Amino acid sequence: MTDFDVIVIGSGNAGLTAATRAQLRGARTLLLERHNIPGGCATSFVRGDFEFEVALHQLSGMGTEEQPFVMRQLFESLGIMDKIEVVEEQQLYRIVMPGEFDVSLPANWLELQQHLAKLYPAESENVSRYFNLCESISMESFMLLPQARKANDPDLLKQSCPNYIDYGLRPAKQVLAEFFSDQDLIAVLSAYWCYLGMPTKDLPFVDMAMLIYAYAAFKPCHVKGGSQAISSALLESFMQAGGQVKFNTGADKIITDNKQVKAVRTEHGETYSCRSVISNASAMHTYNELLDTPSPPAQAATDMKSRRLGTSAFVLYIGLDCPPEAIGVTEASTFIIDDRDEETACEKMNSLAPPSHTMLTCYNLEDSSFAPPGKSNLSVLCLQYGAPWEHVAAEDYANTKYQFAQSLLDHVERVFPGIRANIEEIEVATPLTMMRYLNTAGGAIYGFQQNTQDSNLFRENINAIDGLYMAGCWNGMGGFQPTYMLGDQTAKQVVRDLQKQNTEEVAHA
Amino acid sequence: MPNSFTTDDNLLSVVNGYSDAVKHRQQLEKSGSDFSESKGEVANTIAQLHPRRLQLQVVEIIVETASTKTLRVKSLSKALPPFQAGQYINLFINIDGVDTARPYAISSSPSCRDHYDLTVKRLDSGYVSHFLLDRIQAGDHLQSTGPMGTFHYNPIFHGDNLVFLAGGSGIAPARSMIEAFAAENSGKQLHILYSSSYQDDVIFDQELDTLTAANDFLKVSRFISRANDAAEKISGRISQQDIQALVDDIDSAMFYICGPTSFNQACETMLAQLQVKARRIRIECNGPPSRPQDRANWPAAVDSQQSVEITIQGRGSFIASSNEPLLNSLERNGYSAENACRSGECSLCRVKVVKGSVYNPSEARLRKSDAQYGWCHSCVAFPLEDLEIIL
Repeated sequence: MTDFDVIVIGSGNAGLTAATRAQLRGARTLLLERHNIPGGCATSFVRGDFEFEVALHQLSGMGTEEQPFVMRQLFESLGIMDKIEVVEEQQLYRIVMPGEFDVSLPANWLELQQHLAKLYPAESENVSRYFNLCESISMESFMLLPQARKANDPDLLKQSCPNYIDYGLRPAKQVLAEFFSDQDLIAVLSAYWCYLGMPTKDLPFVDMAMLIYAYAAFKPCHVKGGSQAISSALLESFMQAGGQVKFNTGADKIITDNKQVKAVRTEHGETYSCRSVISNASAMHTYNELLDTPSPPAQAATDMKSRRLGTSAFVLYIGLDCPPEAIGVTEASTFIIDDRDEETACEKMNSLAPPSHTMLTCYNLEDSSFAPPGKSNLSVLCLQYGAPWEHVAAEDYANTKYQFAQSLLDHVERVFPGIRANIEEIEVATPLTMMRYLNTAGGAIYGFQQNTQDSNLFRENINAIDGLYMAGCWNGMGGFQPTYMLGDQTAKQVVRDLQKQNTEEVAHA
Repeated sequence: MPNSFTTDDNLLSVVNGYSDAVKHRQQLEKSGSDFSESKGEVANTIAQLHPRRLQLQVVEIIVETASTKTLRVKSLSKALPPFQAGQYINLFINIDGVDTARPYAISSSPSCRDHYDLTVKRLDSGYVSHFLLDRIQAGDHLQSTGPMGTFHYNPIFHGDNLVFLAGGSGIAPARSMIEAFAAENSGKQLHILYSSSYQDDVIFDQELDTLTAANDFLKVSRFISRANDAAEKISGRISQQDIQALVDDIDSAMFYICGPTSFNQACETMLAQLQVKARRIRIECNGPPSRPQDRANWPAAVDSQQSVEITIQGRGSFIASSNEPLLNSLERNGYSAENACRSGECSLCRVKVVKGSVYNPSEARLRKSDAQYGWCHSCVAFPLEDLEIIL
């Protein structure tokens, strides 16, 4: 008998979910984590009186207690809904182009449309058509498309997914331009591009549509204690179910024999035999560094060749000794843009030039427990690729990081003056910080670039090594909801495959 | 089997944009890479900035005072990583078979990547400082973490009016800051209020004179807390009046406090009385409380001297005392946990308590969810009863 049925490498969202699901379904599971705490991106750290959320800005897919959506059901089935406290947000976001417009949107599907129709009366009919499309295409993509694919029935596809066929895979920018002529409105509706990391010209419309639908119809959420509370709760479920975890223990090698997973060796030199490995590490780390084959399997190499490294982020975690109102924060999430067209911002993501699209999240605005009384807990960020930072000499790193932080603060202080004057704690994270904690090339936070062809629609399952599975944003969409769901799906597949093997072994015995 | 999309290809080809994306994918595949050329790059990039371990050799031992020496260490392999003046490294040592570690602030200039200076003062009740001062010789090898810690100048909000309250070996990070500011000519003013127990105990005494003479930005006011023969120095402890009298424009000042725990607490109290806001005060963390039982929230029913049994799930058990940090007793009994700051801050020594309870002093910078599931920072956690933990 092997030491474990399943070894999960990395306790990011997908790894934690996969480990918990596998253990709950009876697979003896070992979870390996390089760091001292579970969560990967979904973590927090403490400075002074503040606990800073690292990555979660708005959790999607929860729905309400009365109208639970997929994430609530998933968390329920993983045994963590009674461990976490969910906070629903009432506002979607505020988007400001200084001197041009300043718009705040409610997190309510109908009110959102009414609000936009009022702000842009000439577009009111288009707003309603557009939102109907977003809703239909979300439903089609989420429910009906998988059915049609499963049935492999072209007629069913045509009949059940007409909107998806017309609009789903077209560039989001094109669809927006088809519906609207007001450039302000287009900019307002494009704000979430940065949750996907690509300009709207490169994003499939379905992704933009599902994002706005998921957030506006099911409300953005937070969890008390931040995403770390979700990670810690998942770990607790995993351990309660009998799962074993090792912190400060990175995987060093996935040991195979004749294209079959046999064991995992840790950085401390211990080797644990297993039947399956679920890697929550990046594709390149898994295939090029962890796997003991001299080169990646051809199938994986081909897949990686068609991918491009995705974006990282530059983030300031800020604790202020004044309440949010004192610097003019009125919404939990605010986007600040210099150009209506996000492509300008995207060009800057590859340089150290001052950013032109930034985001400020205030964690204690809708829930005062996120900061000590009278204080504010903020994160301020812009997306950025890792490459420019990789070229900074080690001795110039600290200065470069502070300089860039200043330019980011300059950008944000035009809308929220007084941040600098009230700082009590601040921590700067560059793409290299993301690289350090996530162990991803370029410090990538969403995996590969999420352009249209990156989608799983265009991908075959990489099964070149028996028993090796990928879970996480490198094999699907990035972000919280997608990675939790991917981890769950992967573990279910792994357990099914293990059971199949068991049956076969019994049959052969 | 590239390009084998089974049936989906045919099915989805009716979707507007599908075949464009397939074409795009094929184009990218032709010009792309499997990333094998960047094998090892992530690890190398991070190792330059944040190496997990440094292999060091003591190249020189400088006697500073009767109770203090500076260990000058060089890297045995690659260049030393850069650090920000004020940061520390955690030294791992084996004392008579016991593996333990202590963090030491780097006292040398951050622009010097050839060596780090670690200035170590004998702590009477100490354990590791005796070992470093009495038994370490030039040529000895040591292992440490990379530089870390949040006690350093931050140009985003610290400003130009900087005041450093140093007690004893707390002058070590201040010396590094002086060197850093001297190298950059940036208009900052640094005033060090430096308290030592005795005149012959003043670390960097001469050197501070030289540095003050050479640098207009620097001012040093010395205090000798336990002697009265200190001619040009202010005698006695640093008082609130001293701070008020010596510090220019107290409202704009950023205060750095580094010294023994009692010194840090006294300074913090004085600054609070002077209405200095918490956001203008940085305090270097300084180990676990030596008498946790004196803290206001120590449970009155618990005798700090009592013996408790610590069980490490699946591995064994030992007897420890309630007044000793869990990490220390673990190490003494042959168990190890990763650690760095040993002051409750860095969270590397997280341990899960599954049975029993520990006292977490305010030094323990626990996350909300840590407390919820029994995770503690073992370096500052004190066992209040028999414990079962997972390592």
